[in-house]
Amino acid sequence: MREFDVIVIGTGAGGGIAIKTLCEAGLKVCALNAGRELIPEKDFQEHRMPYDMPFRGFGSPKQRAESVGYMDNEYGPNIWEHDLAYSTAPGTRWMWPRCFAVGGKTNFWGRSSARFAEIDFKAASRDGFDVDWPVSYDEIAPYYSRIERMIGVASTVQNRPSNPDGVYLPPIRFRCRDYILQAAAEKSGIPYLPDRYAQLTVPHEGHPACHYCGNCTNGCDVGAFFSSPYFFLPKANATGNLELRTNALAREILVDSDGRAKGVAYVDRGTRREVEVYGKAVVVAASCIASAHIMLSSKSRHWPTGIGNSSGQLGRNLCDHLYGTTAFGYLPQLLGAPSFPDNVSSTSVAWLPRWQNLENPTKEKFIRGYSMYPDGGCEIFPSYYDDIEGYGSSYKAEIKRRYPTPLSFYVQAPSQRSDKNFVDIDPEKKNIYGIPEVRIHFEWDENALKMWEHAKESCREIFRNAGAIYEGHGEIESPGFSLHETGTCRMGNDPKHFVTNRFGQSHDVPNLYVCDASVFLNCTDKTTTLSILAFSLRTSEYILQNFKAGEHRSESAI
Amino acid sequence: MSGQSPSRRQVLQAFSLAAVAAATPGFSRWCYALGKAEQQPASGGGPGGAYIPKFFTPHEYRTVETLTELILPSEQGPGAKEAGVAEFIDFMVQNDSSLHEPFRSGLAWLDGAAGRQRTFTGLPRAEQTRILDRLAYKKYQRADERAGQDFFKLARQYTVMGFYTTKIGLEALDFPGLKFYATSPGCNHACDAEHTGI
Repeated sequence: MREFDVIVIGTGAGGGIAIKTLCEAGLKVCALNAGRELIPEKDFQEHRMPYDMPFRGFGSPKQRAESVGYMDNEYGPNIWEHDLAYSTAPGTRWMWPRCFAVGGKTNFWGRSSARFAEIDFKAASRDGFDVDWPVSYDEIAPYYSRIERMIGVASTVQNRPSNPDGVYLPPIRFRCRDYILQAAAEKSGIPYLPDRYAQLTVPHEGHPACHYCGNCTNGCDVGAFFSSPYFFLPKANATGNLELRTNALAREILVDSDGRAKGVAYVDRGTRREVEVYGKAVVVAASCIASAHIMLSSKSRHWPTGIGNSSGQLGRNLCDHLYGTTAFGYLPQLLGAPSFPDNVSSTSVAWLPRWQNLENPTKEKFIRGYSMYPDGGCEIFPSYYDDIEGYGSSYKAEIKRRYPTPLSFYVQAPSQRSDKNFVDIDPEKKNIYGIPEVRIHFEWDENALKMWEHAKESCREIFRNAGAIYEGHGEIESPGFSLHETGTCRMGNDPKHFVTNRFGQSHDVPNLYVCDASVFLNCTDKTTTLSILAFSLRTSEYILQNFKAGEHRSESAI
Repeated sequence: MSGQSPSRRQVLQAFSLAAVAAATPGFSRWCYALGKAEQQPASGGGPGGAYIPKFFTPHEYRTVETLTELILPSEQGPGAKEAGVAEFIDFMVQNDSSLHEPFRSGLAWLDGAAGRQRTFTGLPRAEQTRILDRLAYKKYQRADERAGQDFFKLARQYTVMGFYTTKIGLEALDFPGLKFYATSPGCNHACDAEHTGI
């Protein structure tokens, strides 16, 4: 029976950097991935025009009905998970697009990459809500810098208390609309700055520079933005220390007679057989909810409510970003302007980083803060067509005249920890492999809803300042939409209240580690991927230390 | 997942209709609008040849052609006709059972509005536009013509979808995306940051 040094569940951001770090150090790693490998030239067809697809990119009615999110579209069918059901508690809406392909959601992520700040880690000390993180910014900062160098992040130095500056490639240039909006936002004291995006504005570490086609959300067939399969897994593979098993759906972490992790039982989705794989340590990096699902499903004599759950906090404290279009309309000063490639990154080139509650933590009606992103411009489809009255030549001319003008903003507002928001195992429902389904309980807290109201007001002001025509706002998106869920295995120093310690190691099971956003105390106003990478790198090096110190014995030369 | 465009999302939502299995598309004129010489029509004629509709009756199809060409006419550049929008709509409706009844009854509504013993396609253009004006402009709308107004909105949506997703439609917008740019394209009006003078 072969025993690996480490079994890593998941190959996305957290799993990818763990696999690379451990393999490069000489450990034998078995990586389990719940889906298939993607073939870039076949699966990433982001350069197709709408007329290259039968349904012109809108998808067949069947695909539209079954789509799990806007990314699950005619550009890339058969990439997003449809077969594995999950359950929601009565009253909970939860949209959960899962990419189980190798590399997970890093294949398609939004690429916004801001660091968390001391103001985030010590938020509880400032406003009295919840608890501080068990780490300081200074402790994490070097890991952020190393990750930024590895993946390439473009931005500028901005000197903002909530947004520590990092190591940056040159930014994407501002578009006409950015100058207009920057002036308008600044009139109200709202910052409007280049976003921090993991998109290569220059060739970087052997990866080509971006060519600004603007369809990153459907995958990049040249790998000009960070994804685990382009940036990490080939390096891990080159060491000869990696065994990647695809279509391997982790079901349970196996324990030995002392209750320590000894391996993982998974379903081979090709043969539907159950397979066991053994290792001296296990890293769970399946993404926040899926990691909690696997751990909650790992019940044994030692761990009757799930592995590492002596605190009772496993699966609890689920947080998410509230997303929604806070304003839409258009910029009349751009009517009739020449078309401009506004969507060079299929995301915002700019952001409006948190400006609330910075000096005085209780200045606003809500605690903490939110960020916003602008959107609009010359898109692939004139989706404002229904806002114009009429038909005929004048209608056609007006569609063209309005083409450069559409403007919208969307908000990224964190929910706060609540006893009401958690995941558990559904007592009745089972998925197609007979595995009891994970069940999600979630509702927006009042604090996040106050941010939503505040953001809508802020946008009205920016619209007024910009002379923009305001046409309305959208609805709050379904929870889960942001894909920024955090908190099911929070880290903290007290084993009675936290699942993992400050290094992401299980308090109960010393050879079990968590390398994704489940260890985060909350989701802050920033996106999660960069921080997943930084924290996972730190945890991976902590694992190596433990191997070197003989905590986990290995015959490998490290 | 900062990174999705809400407007794109709104479009997808606008089109999220009932499910029916997809079939092979059969565009003839439309595929010539693509500028792809290698693309052959799956059925129907070539340029100049008659397209045989898959869903609509020949009369309904002629009405769709007339209507879409009124919505996006071939004036000041190509329109619905050159882009084969009627064929696109035939394909979309054929593949989406939730659209069968709205299109069928909507086209019949237009014939009804044309008057006894007459059809919409048989009317002089001035009379056709008089009917469409009542459906398209709030100031001319009648309370008892809601059905016609709803159909017009639907037909206009599918006409826009069918036109601006073809090569000539995207060229009409001068769509700047899905291209190769050697460096990040940026604004060249930094001297006029508020863009009041452009």
